[in-house]
Amino acid sequence: MTAAPRLQPRRRRASRAPGQAVAGLVLLAFLVFFVLPVVWLLLAATKTDPQLVHDNPLSFGSWHALRANWDALTGFQGDTILLWLRNSAVYAFLSLVITLALGIPAGYALAMMEFRGRHALLVLTLVVMLMPATTLVVPLFLEVNEVHLIGTLWSVVLPYSFYPFGVYLTYIYFSTALPRDLLAAARIDGCTEFGAFRRIALPLAAPVIALVGFFSFVANWTNFFLPYVMLPSSSQYPAQVGIALLVTDVPQFNPTAGSASVLRPELALATLLAITPVLLVFLFAQRYLISGLLAGATKE
Amino acid sequence: MRRAPWRAVGAGHAFVAGYVILLVAFGVIPVVYAIYFAFTNAGNTFAGLSNFTQSAQDFRYVPAFEHIGAYLLIWLAALVVLVTSLAIVLHQMSVRRLSTLVRFLYYVPGALAGAASVLVWLFMLDPTVSPAASLLHLLGYGTFGDVIQPGHLAILFAMIAFWTGAGGWIVVMYGALNNIPHDIMEAARIDGAGAWRIARYIQIPMLRKWIAYMVILAFATGAQLFVEPELISEASLGVAGRDYSPNQVAYDFAFQNNNVNYAAAISVELLVISLVVAAVFVTRSRFFDAS
Amino acid sequence: MALAIRAARARSRLRQSCTRAAIAIAAAALVAVSAAACGSSGSSAGSGGSSGSAGKDGFTQAAQTSGPLTVWVDSTRQPAVQAYEKAHPGVKLNAVLYDGDANGSNTLQTKVDLYDRTGSGWPDVVFSAENNEVSWAQPAGFTAPLNKGLIPSSVLSSFASGALNPCTVNGTVYCLRNDLAPVVLWYNAPLMKQFGYQVPTTWAQYEQIGEEVATQHPGYIVGSAGDTFTPEIYLWASQCQANDITGIRAVTVNVTSPNCQRMAALLDTLVKDGSMTKLSVFSTAFDKDDKGKVLMLPGAAWIGGAVFDSSSGLNTPKGQIAVAPIPQWPGSATPATGNVGGGTWLLSAHSAHLTEAVDFITWVTTNNGYQADLAPGFPASAPAAAAWLANQAKSGYYVNDITPVLQQAAGQVWQGWGYGKFSQEAIWAATVTPGITAGKSIASMLPDWQTAITNYATAAGYQVSH
Repeated sequence: MTAAPRLQPRRRRASRAPGQAVAGLVLLAFLVFFVLPVVWLLLAATKTDPQLVHDNPLSFGSWHALRANWDALTGFQGDTILLWLRNSAVYAFLSLVITLALGIPAGYALAMMEFRGRHALLVLTLVVMLMPATTLVVPLFLEVNEVHLIGTLWSVVLPYSFYPFGVYLTYIYFSTALPRDLLAAARIDGCTEFGAFRRIALPLAAPVIALVGFFSFVANWTNFFLPYVMLPSSSQYPAQVGIALLVTDVPQFNPTAGSASVLRPELALATLLAITPVLLVFLFAQRYLISGLLAGATKE
Repeated sequence: MRRAPWRAVGAGHAFVAGYVILLVAFGVIPVVYAIYFAFTNAGNTFAGLSNFTQSAQDFRYVPAFEHIGAYLLIWLAALVVLVTSLAIVLHQMSVRRLSTLVRFLYYVPGALAGAASVLVWLFMLDPTVSPAASLLHLLGYGTFGDVIQPGHLAILFAMIAFWTGAGGWIVVMYGALNNIPHDIMEAARIDGAGAWRIARYIQIPMLRKWIAYMVILAFATGAQLFVEPELISEASLGVAGRDYSPNQVAYDFAFQNNNVNYAAAISVELLVISLVVAAVFVTRSRFFDAS
Repeated sequence: MALAIRAARARSRLRQSCTRAAIAIAAAALVAVSAAACGSSGSSAGSGGSSGSAGKDGFTQAAQTSGPLTVWVDSTRQPAVQAYEKAHPGVKLNAVLYDGDANGSNTLQTKVDLYDRTGSGWPDVVFSAENNEVSWAQPAGFTAPLNKGLIPSSVLSSFASGALNPCTVNGTVYCLRNDLAPVVLWYNAPLMKQFGYQVPTTWAQYEQIGEEVATQHPGYIVGSAGDTFTPEIYLWASQCQANDITGIRAVTVNVTSPNCQRMAALLDTLVKDGSMTKLSVFSTAFDKDDKGKVLMLPGAAWIGGAVFDSSSGLNTPKGQIAVAPIPQWPGSATPATGNVGGGTWLLSAHSAHLTEAVDFITWVTTNNGYQADLAPGFPASAPAAAAWLANQAKSGYYVNDITPVLQQAAGQVWQGWGYGKFSQEAIWAATVTPGITAGKSIASMLPDWQTAITNYATAAGYQVSH
């Protein structure tokens, strides 16, 4: 009885090899596609502007040029780039906290609980999510102005905190991954709804919390239009708006940029600075993303 | 499938209360306001469907919708097929840490969403300075202007959108694949199913809701194409990508021609189209069932 | 069975109540929105300034208070703010950095529109890299009239003739011009001498040189047809009626006229020969291939500093670049040239600090401390321009004295090309440039260009005549 199964796996493994080779090639091809432009960007920050145009695109410039680019970039308006990065971090983290605090319970309730308006809430969230943001800007501006928050960081953080995409992710996660038997058991044992949520669902929700937190952070970090409209002063800009401002000082994009010109390698460096926090957060979140739901939590 | 008894109604509302406040404040009110704009004119009087008909007569309107049709075909096909396939292939990789690294590297462009990548694409698409110069020369393009010809734009924008967007969805799909119980996968393997059969008969059906969600959002974000043509427009100083998509035309109406009503009309049209597609996928995948 | 029916009824009741709940939420929102809409301060059309000559200095002034002046500038103009603060110790300006409305970003109009809706938030003084702000700002009542009492006429007349035209609507001046950018002919003097060419004074001579260069010295260029401002150099100088703004919302467009066709033919000939490049002088391809090979280059006054004498540009060594007046067509009574850019300073009609604002805007446009010593561009104020040109001559970069050429060109900008709400550069870039790249002739694209201009002008609310 044990002999036959042992033979079969070996044969199957051999016939899987060509398939795996093709898969590996495909993965590699896409790897080059995704990574090549970023590698270029990394190397671009180490070059001078003439080097960027004349040297091999994937050649390394020099540490000296990198240093010069860093000095020029931080020299722009006196370390303003660092201020912009700090602003981005503040806005993104504040709204991340609110998003998670409000969104995770909401997604859980939509998936696991029955209450009046559940269906309506799902539909309404979907409708709102699908509306193009272009025309939402004017009403949002008027609304925020109505409560006298224009120019404060709440004019940006509060709209950011509304993250329907995250609520939906949570909803799908809980409705597909969490076995209802667990909750049924908890309720029978006399747990309140909140208790069941806190003691059973939340510990198992690490992957979706990491996922929603991460996506919320990135969406807020890369948002351009809302802060562009809401924030009047350049010292409040997040990195995304700040970099757009830098672009208008690059002579190749704006020929009339005179003495304050920003060179392209400096722009490349600024871009790298702006994406580094996102990548760090991703690395941090990845640990939780892998784990998935612990299979076997409900051994039937 | 036992549902929670009605005494839990209060608790359910408590769980969603905070979110509902944000939803109404930053979702419902602006959307209703925008719809209000779509049906009124500048003097705040009711305008019926005139915003819709008149904006449709603008010279940029029909070309924009033609563009978006072509773009959506390419974009949706690429995203759904490639993301699902890549996620499944990654999931089958035996070396866990390599799979993690590859997923991270696939994601990196996602951090470059938005205006920050204008420099990247200006150089990537310029055969005189691009790392992919040999590929571009092979395709017969000598200058940046050759690459951004009108006929290439749909593919170009889909490629850029895929470059920034695929990584995130691969992460989501990978996580979804992780939630498929191992017992089922093991059983299938023992039964002799190969990678392809496991993917087709087990993994993809169990990803049903996730794929539906991805299609709904990909369609909506595709229909609302804005960032990629703006990027190319900025990189090319206006030669390509200007007024390319309906969302860009709406933006021009709102902020250049000072006509929020036409802009709102186009936004409502895009919303309706996205909702129709969403409705199709919601019903087919039984999206709203809490099972 | 009964259980199923009861369950079905319960489910439908639930769905009904869900739908009712959804309708209730939407209805509540609609009520809230209508209340807000009725309560909010109306639309942006016609508040203050456009209601004619009511009030002091020609407009209804806001209540004046004391406080720091809010000035919006781009990074190139930030030295102006610093210079003003240095020259006026004790005065603190609230300087806000923004993109200067460059490249058609439309930031200023977007923000002013939002401020108009809420009734507050406007800056006091704004710099714009565009010249056409008045075309929307005047109807919106954002800019204050300057020649109705705010600024003395002695100051206003010190600007170069025609400099304030983009700012003027029906005789009222609504902004001050920062710098001029008349088109001149830049050329490489040693190369011209080496090849044995005379500096052309007519377009026929220019074309002749271009054709000879193509055969005798292939690879060298005499101009560029690939920039977004190409029409402002060649067609404006040829007095082509592509952008004849005749009123605040009226334009005459006739690009199939002889004036336009003669220049299109010239450009086509030279592009075909190869002596006029299809690339923009700011493109990497140009940088890589044509860097040392510029024989002549018609371009704006700022080309010298931005392209030739720039390490991120062509970086041409000292003692090579010279400047001459732009060639002319026969039969024009007065010499005409084009203009590419400039910049304007606007003063907000809603400002609560008018005295300080007037002082700032006057200083920054006319004072040598900024304009002559620090400004990168050719000042629009004539006295400051003379001082600026003297500074430029001191650098010794140019072969000849650029002063008389630039000063002459400043007064020769053809008035038949105006500044409308729609961008001619953007229209040319989207309509004509792809065709040039694909090998089409500009002459064959003139009708399409006319249609495009007409379309964009109409969409911007203009009455278009041909």
